[in-house]
Amino acid sequence: MTELKFVYGDPQICSGCMICVNVCSMYYSKVIGPEWSRVRVVRVEPGLDFPLFCRNCEDAPCISACPEGALSRTSKGVVIVNDGKCTGHGECVKACPYNAIRINRDTGKAIKCIHCGQCVERCPADAIWITTEAELSEKDADGRMARLYEDHKEELYGREKSA
Amino acid sequence: MIRGIGGQILWVDLTKGRIDKKPVDEDLVEKYLLGAGFLSRMLFDMIPLGIDPFSPKNVLGIATGLLTASMFPQSSRHVVAGLSPLTEIWGESHAAGFWGPELKLAGYDAIMFLGASKDPVYLNIENDKVDLLDASHIWGADVFETDDWLREKHGKRTRTLGIGQAGENLVRFAAIMNDRDRASARAGLGAVMGSKNVKAVAVRGTGKIEVADSKNYLKQMDIFFDRMLANPFTKERVKYGTTNLLELMNHIGRLPTYNMKQGVFEKYEKISGETITQHYLVKPRADWNCLQRCGRYTRVKTGPYKYIGGSPEFESQSSLGSRCGNANIESILYTHHLANMYGMDTISLGATISWAMEAWDEGLLTGEDTGGIDLSWGNHETIVKLTEMIALREGFGNILAEGSERAAARIGRGTEEFVMTVKKQEIAGQEPRAQKSMGLAAVTAARGADHLYAFPVLDEAGFDVEIKKRFGNEYLPEIADRLNPKFKGVMVKECEDYMVVIESLGLCKYGTQIPPEFYYEDVAAALRVHNGLNLSKQDLKTIGERIVNLNRLFNVARGVTRKDDSLPDRLTKEPSPVGPPKGQVVELDDMLSEYYEHRGWDVETGIPLPETLKCLGLEKDWKELL
Repeated sequence: MTELKFVYGDPQICSGCMICVNVCSMYYSKVIGPEWSRVRVVRVEPGLDFPLFCRNCEDAPCISACPEGALSRTSKGVVIVNDGKCTGHGECVKACPYNAIRINRDTGKAIKCIHCGQCVERCPADAIWITTEAELSEKDADGRMARLYEDHKEELYGREKSA
Repeated sequence: MIRGIGGQILWVDLTKGRIDKKPVDEDLVEKYLLGAGFLSRMLFDMIPLGIDPFSPKNVLGIATGLLTASMFPQSSRHVVAGLSPLTEIWGESHAAGFWGPELKLAGYDAIMFLGASKDPVYLNIENDKVDLLDASHIWGADVFETDDWLREKHGKRTRTLGIGQAGENLVRFAAIMNDRDRASARAGLGAVMGSKNVKAVAVRGTGKIEVADSKNYLKQMDIFFDRMLANPFTKERVKYGTTNLLELMNHIGRLPTYNMKQGVFEKYEKISGETITQHYLVKPRADWNCLQRCGRYTRVKTGPYKYIGGSPEFESQSSLGSRCGNANIESILYTHHLANMYGMDTISLGATISWAMEAWDEGLLTGEDTGGIDLSWGNHETIVKLTEMIALREGFGNILAEGSERAAARIGRGTEEFVMTVKKQEIAGQEPRAQKSMGLAAVTAARGADHLYAFPVLDEAGFDVEIKKRFGNEYLPEIADRLNPKFKGVMVKECEDYMVVIESLGLCKYGTQIPPEFYYEDVAAALRVHNGLNLSKQDLKTIGERIVNLNRLFNVARGVTRKDDSLPDRLTKEPSPVGPPKGQVVELDDMLSEYYEHRGWDVETGIPLPETLKCLGLEKDWKELL
């Protein structure tokens, strides 16, 4: 099986500018709007900024959650949404442990990061990159980044309560 | 139809507790853009003459620009304006952050606060749902506590703007803070917010911004991104923020020291950008779509000045440091943090304390005045203590909370001589004897002493190429020489016109003025793809000129003339004692006359000439004043 890739960011390098968020919504939806973006940036004080993407889980609960079979993994290992099949009921959104899928309010279809790299290319801080679990565990050998994500997971992946 | 904006203005009548939504007037945008220009027009028409700034008749406006929440580099900003309690003339201040973009995403471009609430309130905006809610339980809270509470109640993604204790207590240089540590600091508008009993504005916007030319949008922005990142200044900004300006300013003798007695601080290394970067920087912090990342996140790990939080920048570092003779860097960082917490302008704060320190040094102030507090130069414990006392208006702090000019008028005894203000606002960290354009800019700025209204930095650091691009060869080489007063009138005039346009677009002066990477044609290109507006360079220049003239009329109507466009005697009569500007004074009169001529203002009075106003379509406003 091909190695599963995903985009990941260092919360101690990310400056929180949201350029990745804006690039994504403009590139795919032709608007500026964080809700139309496949990446989120969450600021957690003191001093952390988390750029958050689909983590391309090996077991991909989003795929099995969809009753329409709209999500699948390509031969290159990317989890994609088939717009023809997606009816926007949001089972994948609920199933995602990283809160990395949302329904596009205009199209009614699920949207998620496919690690295309448009944002990575434009990140002024070089805080995000395309990686794999193996590569990441080497880069984050002391577990510094993993711990930061783990320590703040509720705030990072929790659902918003209002608005 | 104008694209790329929220589309609506919120009108909040605090007296009646009524909220109305009205569409943006597109004819007005063509003449004034949004942001600062929009507020200049609205408040000129709305704020009556002869009122106290704390009267319910004062109007507090908060507006985003046409390009706020766009993808132009550094496009996060909003502007606040009203009748200033510090200067009692035009009051305006700006801040970066995420609050402005969030307001846009909720569908609004501006909020106008009218009247005053009987009890403390905050405005809560969740997209279409807008409510005035009870704030009595957070009245008395500091800025961070207020932000914590609002985000706990309305959701963690909520962005907040508001005042701390300083604004509540009507400190005349209270700031309006947003996103915890961003400050619309100057002109004391936090106190206007306090006088209206408004604690905060919480916003959650989950909408989108539809741009005019989505096909070419990213392509155009990529060009801007590449240019911004290729500019050598960017690397320096990321590394130091603005903190290393301290050593650069010291080097050219432009660092306000000992209440502007001189422009060189012998202990500058202890409070330098290098020191901050090496020992206290956690990381650079950016606001919405910012590539420069001059924001800092800093920490003092142990000791009495322990904290972790946002920034500082050069202005705080110099006003709380060299200006007060203070070489204790941890106290500077901590005091800056306290000023954010209480919601105060660090420039006026440090400048007011440094005035008191000089008066103490001269024996004109004693322990009897200060309640036993020692005001010796560099006493950092005093600086920290007074910061709290000013915000809470306790003891001697209650006098300093009025700003240095009013405090000196109250104490008398010759302390007035040491007041470093223009139109009652303290001069920023730009020693004008070492850069003449800054002296002129401080007196012509509509909101009282201010370096950012014109931000004339083109003569600061070898920008000859950009000067040539903007002005041609006509004024070189003198215009580029910071010690030469020649052609500073034309420079300040052109810079003001451009900067008020930038403030009306919601952009940052970093990138548009220093470094001078983007100019009219670039913002015009952005206005085309983002808003679908076809405005030429000349159109934009005229709009800038119109805004500056309207700001001037606002002040002329309140009695401002040439006599008020003046600097403290120290800067025009006392030669700078040390460093590169040794022997220099600010030759203000000549520069000012040149400036008025370029402006089309009466050289004797400093009042705009009728034909100037006619060209700008302001003749009706002039007649109303007569």
